[in-house]
Amino acid sequence: MRGKSGRRATGLIGCLLALGAAVPALKAQQSPDPMRRGLELERRGNYADAAAAYREVLKQKPAEAAALFGLERALVALDRVADILPDARAALAASPSAGAFYGVVLRAWSAADRPDSVRAVAERWAALDPTDETPYREWGAAALARRDRGEARRGYLTARERLHRPDVLAGELAILLSQDQEWTGAVHEWGIAVGKVAGYRVTAAKVLSAAPDSMHADLVRLLAAEPAPAARWLEADLRARWGDPVGGFQILAANLPADRAGALDVLSGFLDQVRDQKGPTGSRAQGLALAALADRTPGPARSQLRVEAAQAFADAGDEESARRMLSGLAVEPGTVEATASGAATAMVGVLLKEGKVEEAERKVGEAKASLASDDWLALRRGVAWGWVREGKLGRADTMVVGDTSVEGLALAGRLRLLHGELDSAAALLKLAGPYAGSREEATARTAILAMLQPIEVDSLPALGAALLAVERGDTARGVEGLEKVAAGLPADHGGAEVRLYAGRIAQAARRSGDAERLYRAAATPDAKATAPAAELALAQLLIDGNRAQEATDVLEHLILGFPDSALVPQARRLLDQARGAVPKT
Amino acid sequence: MKRREFVGRTLGALAALSPAARVLGGRAAAGWLLVPMDDAQSDHLKAYGLTYRAVQRGARAEWLLNYRNGSFLMPADPTTPRDAGLSGITIEPLDDGAVLQLRAQIQGDNMDAIPLEKPPKVAVYVPPNAPPWDDAVTMVLNYAGIEFEKIWDPEVLREGLKKYDWLHLHHEDFTGQYSKFYLNYAGAPWLLDMVKQNTAMAKTLGFPSVPEEKKAVARAIAAYVERGGFLFAMCTATETLDLALAGQGVDIATDYADRTPMDPNASAKMHWDSALAFQNAKLELNPSVPVFSDIDGHQVNSLDRRQPLGSFSLFNFSAKIDPVATMLVQNHRQVIPDFYGLTTSFMRRTLKPSITVLADEPGAPWVKYIHGERGQGTWTFFGGHDPEDPQHQIGDPPTDLSLHPHSPGYRLILNNVLFPAAKKKELKT
Repeated sequence: MRGKSGRRATGLIGCLLALGAAVPALKAQQSPDPMRRGLELERRGNYADAAAAYREVLKQKPAEAAALFGLERALVALDRVADILPDARAALAASPSAGAFYGVVLRAWSAADRPDSVRAVAERWAALDPTDETPYREWGAAALARRDRGEARRGYLTARERLHRPDVLAGELAILLSQDQEWTGAVHEWGIAVGKVAGYRVTAAKVLSAAPDSMHADLVRLLAAEPAPAARWLEADLRARWGDPVGGFQILAANLPADRAGALDVLSGFLDQVRDQKGPTGSRAQGLALAALADRTPGPARSQLRVEAAQAFADAGDEESARRMLSGLAVEPGTVEATASGAATAMVGVLLKEGKVEEAERKVGEAKASLASDDWLALRRGVAWGWVREGKLGRADTMVVGDTSVEGLALAGRLRLLHGELDSAAALLKLAGPYAGSREEATARTAILAMLQPIEVDSLPALGAALLAVERGDTARGVEGLEKVAAGLPADHGGAEVRLYAGRIAQAARRSGDAERLYRAAATPDAKATAPAAELALAQLLIDGNRAQEATDVLEHLILGFPDSALVPQARRLLDQARGAVPKT
Repeated sequence: MKRREFVGRTLGALAALSPAARVLGGRAAAGWLLVPMDDAQSDHLKAYGLTYRAVQRGARAEWLLNYRNGSFLMPADPTTPRDAGLSGITIEPLDDGAVLQLRAQIQGDNMDAIPLEKPPKVAVYVPPNAPPWDDAVTMVLNYAGIEFEKIWDPEVLREGLKKYDWLHLHHEDFTGQYSKFYLNYAGAPWLLDMVKQNTAMAKTLGFPSVPEEKKAVARAIAAYVERGGFLFAMCTATETLDLALAGQGVDIATDYADRTPMDPNASAKMHWDSALAFQNAKLELNPSVPVFSDIDGHQVNSLDRRQPLGSFSLFNFSAKIDPVATMLVQNHRQVIPDFYGLTTSFMRRTLKPSITVLADEPGAPWVKYIHGERGQGTWTFFGGHDPEDPQHQIGDPPTDLSLHPHSPGYRLILNNVLFPAAKKKELKT
């Protein structure tokens, strides 16, 4: 513990540090140089004194731009912008060709709510350089600051008339029209704006995506009529945002810039639009964009993009395109180890999705040398599941031989269960513990262990066969098999638990009727350990089916009938939900 | 399970639901149930709903002011333990001897027992399509299981709130300026809806503008209080209700609300005699600053004026001499973290001298929670938007009160709901 003197010393050091920091600031505040003083006072938030210091500078040098701008900043902070008018006029008189001073005068008139004067200053400023659009932009901005949207539009359109250029200030007009929800005009202006400044594309897509659904088709048609390629890129982005990402990509692909860098930029922008889109069309559009990027990218990055494209195609269910992306990847020069691993994983995934387990196993064997041990074992476990789905448990067994990882033990336990060897299955699943694999896998394992716990026989091949049917996607047969197994077990020694498990499988397969029947059967007073869980599951099913009153009855029964159950807090929360006391987001 | 078997099991189960039930097992004839409101309570918010429903069933409940932080006592019946068990509320069975001891303690200390006789009929003023989670009171009434009806301008103006004992206002803007969100949220669909809905309603009810219509609504609410109603307002409804009442005949709304600019001398023309709580406030003239006046101490939506959040302390009152104020501050916490709202707090210099301050931030120039009378009725103003979401933003997800069952801020709201149930002849203020 630090003593009193130590604390005092620390406090003193703190003071000295603070003083040390304060000295230059103090010097600046007392500086004879008013410009320096003004800057320091402004930095410290003393705007009134800062304004006085800047005015001192302007008194000596009326056209000193830094002082005039400093004064404007200070007066903005003081909400007294109009007070700058005499200083700005003096600056302009001293330097009549300085365009920036006109800006200050224009903003001051705007703050004074004098639109006629704003317009007049803009016209005088524009006369300095008849090709410059800046005065009109400032005119519009000043009008917007006063929320005078009509005047802002007038400023922008005057620019077009005086400069004889129909594309001037398109971005500004596009934003104005979008905010006014004049979507037809907005889309035309955005088409021009993105043609001039490609950086507008992201903003344009974001702003236009707020247009009502009923206008989407018309707006896309209008963009398609715009001559600039950039308008077509925007069209592609909007199609992607409005539910047609693949169509969007096709528009984009037909209008890509010839130069590689430009094409990469346009493709990357599109990929950003579709990156978060779920579902087959979103994934397919991602795959197409990634493939197009890969075609234009040299070196190791190309291989990585092809792997990502393959993954996206596989997610979209387009195994052929995924395979095309991956073919020959390993022999491509510059493919680094990480990419090779990703490619092998993607390829094995594609093969397993296609049901080509034999080929997947061969690929895993070939890839052993290029993969880290953990990655290789993970692929083998994937192949094992492939064999399970084929119903070939013996082949699956061979894939986990020697796999002593926790995930390997968990899988071995699941395989023993499918063989109907309950005792060894439970032992292996317990060994794997609660953390192996993903959260979903761990939860599934816990549910299996809960089902196995009350069953007092070591071997039950019929249970294994029923679960195997579920793994192979035949839920109906699996649930039927589980019910038969349950019928042969006493309720408190596995009968109720197996029914509860079967109910969950039926619910996941959207067989609500079966699930409800099984849950109700599992919620028997003869199985006190299972009944609360079965009632909770039943209540959730009823709530999901908009049967809140029935769910309420079930939950009240659970809470009052099984008050010691660990599920009571969860049941109370669900009861609140059923009664509408928990707001829905 | 057969009904008889279930009933038998249920009675057994109730014995295990709370510490109270264990006492029940040891006492054959527990004639009373205590709902403790100190830290022994497992769900403070739902405990109010339990009491409300008991009173609704005709039970003669009592609010034990300052006894274990404002506990409730009621005669034992079969329904209340079941209700408590389902909701996870702690109850303690007491026999007559224990109740006698308890009453003796109440007699000797700064405590009192207030009978709760009639459940108040609750109305919440809310536009028809407002999301329910944006109103702390609606959320807590739902959570506690207290019935209420939603009303809006037509019900206030045509029916005069005669059906209701208790009225709640939340973040409504009675100056008719759409909470001055008009500029910052221009084009937002919810704001467009709000403007459309309010404009149409003003027209239907025969008013030239939304501000004029809202002033009429404010007058009707003040008349309701005058006739004996209980008004509880939070957030910006507090400040704008008074501005609307004091601003009769003065243009206090900016041009986007009524097509005419605000009267630059509006502050000087306000009729503060008509207001419930405030006086001598200065109105915010800048239409682009989402602030109404200098009543609010925190000015959350003005970046250069915003004050940081602190904590507020509840005052102590004499339970026997000042039971109303005592009821309104019953809590298991004396110091509560502050929370922002469009109106967060009330500057002391703008308060009328006759009002009672229930909570303030010590040393700060503002107070948080105030109460007063008008005619036969009373009003209570509580600054801030959501006690468990101190920096609530538009579009934020709703507060899930099952995560805050002990919220002291929400308890203050529920004190106000039960307060009108108290037997009026007992009240001494």
